[in-house]
Amino acid sequence: MDTPTIAEAASLIAARKLSPVELARHCLGRIEALNGTLHAFIAVTAERAMADASAAEARLMAGTMRGPLDGIPIAHKDIYATRGIPTTAHSKLLEGWVPTEDATTVRTLAEAGTTMLGKLATHEFAFGGPSFDLPWPPARNPWNTDHFTSGSSSGTGAAVASGMILGGTGSDTGGSIRGPAALCGIAGLKPTYGLCPRTGILPLAFSLDHAGPMAWTVEDCALLLQHMAGHDPADPASADRPIPSFTAKLGHSIAGVRIGVVRQWHETDVQVSPAVQRGIDQAVALLRDQGATIVDVALPSLFEYQAATFAILTTEAYALHEPWMRTRFQDYGELLRDRMAMGALTTGTDYLQALRRRHELCMLTAEAARGVDILITAGAPAEAPRIDAVPKWGNLQTPSFTNPFNLTGWPAIGVCSGLGEGGLPVGIQIAAKPFQEPLLLQVAHAFEHAAGLPRARPSVVAAAENIITTRAPEPATA
Amino acid sequence: MPHTTREDFEVLVRRAGLTLTPAQIDEIYVGWGFVEPMLDRIRTEGRERGAEPAHVFRPEFYIPAAEA
Repeated sequence: MDTPTIAEAASLIAARKLSPVELARHCLGRIEALNGTLHAFIAVTAERAMADASAAEARLMAGTMRGPLDGIPIAHKDIYATRGIPTTAHSKLLEGWVPTEDATTVRTLAEAGTTMLGKLATHEFAFGGPSFDLPWPPARNPWNTDHFTSGSSSGTGAAVASGMILGGTGSDTGGSIRGPAALCGIAGLKPTYGLCPRTGILPLAFSLDHAGPMAWTVEDCALLLQHMAGHDPADPASADRPIPSFTAKLGHSIAGVRIGVVRQWHETDVQVSPAVQRGIDQAVALLRDQGATIVDVALPSLFEYQAATFAILTTEAYALHEPWMRTRFQDYGELLRDRMAMGALTTGTDYLQALRRRHELCMLTAEAARGVDILITAGAPAEAPRIDAVPKWGNLQTPSFTNPFNLTGWPAIGVCSGLGEGGLPVGIQIAAKPFQEPLLLQVAHAFEHAAGLPRARPSVVAAAENIITTRAPEPATA
Repeated sequence: MPHTTREDFEVLVRRAGLTLTPAQIDEIYVGWGFVEPMLDRIRTEGRERGAEPAHVFRPEFYIPAAEA
């Protein structure tokens, strides 16, 4: 069978047409068939997965299901602490660390009944990658394994796109959820800063870090977000406010929604491929056809957001890593240590000037977007480059479309908008104002459906299907 | 090329407490060439003296709700 979406699986399970145990076996089989090529998983927790799935099946038979995530196979980016399961951040420096507590979001997703399949590849400490000098290889793009997944939630992107899991967790400090969503052809949501607790997730930069869901569809992201969002007193940035339904508005009319297109970002600041441009144009046309009002919005240049984000991110990250950077520099991968070293060289004044610039940019963004509810931008400039051709300083040379929403804390989602000339996915980014996730998901879902998405899985999956159907897979263990 | 000289850059690296080989310093010196313009950019010309940073200190955060 093809891997269903979370929404499809939930309906089938509720109707007793799909067993959680059968679904877990399907995903483990696909991991066994594909992980040697894609390297999406660092560790597969097959025994735990089968125990979780059996428990979900027992609840199904007893009529005590916990909701739409009960029995749904997921996995966690390996910076999410998992009790009793090694958590490495894809780094030699954390090899052998076994947390004694789950991250808050790991716990809440488990309480929702999910089946936990294991830990997913990441760029080292969610910053340096793709790296070939770490204890585990970097994840590969399922659409073409010679190509990059983007990162840092690289394993989640590859695992979701290839149907190894139905959904997973990511983290996003400068675009680490939305980047892989764009290049792997899935949906990835960076919620409003403070909506999802960060407790138990290894930090990269405290004031820019966001936890969020990644899945095949927007609806699936909404279903996961429902069990990731919530107040956590242990996280000082956690927002203490009521959590709305993130699925209630899906499928409702978007007539009257005011949408701003940030043209200068992809027409002036950063050149995008024809396929990316077509995706933006198509989104605008499809949303206008559904009654949305479309206007152009002029925001500050991407270079302005990049400069402030970079100074804050590297300074905060270096402060966290300073003891090891001074004493175990060689134990980091080259990409991470060289990029992070920049944070050792910025001054206290640089950091404070960046925070003052952040305040100005937040004010300018809010003012420019005053007349609209939603913003549309490119997700990434083009299709994924070859994994061996990612420049070390690429993140410094070209500003990203995603940084502005880390700096402002606004929610933003990456959504697939089709395939490019090279046969790899391209995507758009849709953003909203703080805590407007229900509207953001409503508009993204409206685009996804109008565009005829979801779409076919990458061809590497078809090859795996042949393997899976010719032998009964046994659960793999890391 | 950075406007910080290679020699001055080495002083910055030492001051930061990093122990790097000359080849490693050469590598990050290239990256520094991209960082310098960013640091210039965040120093907005004409910024008011009283312009506050985005992060604000809130003393009540440290007081339990029951005592507030």
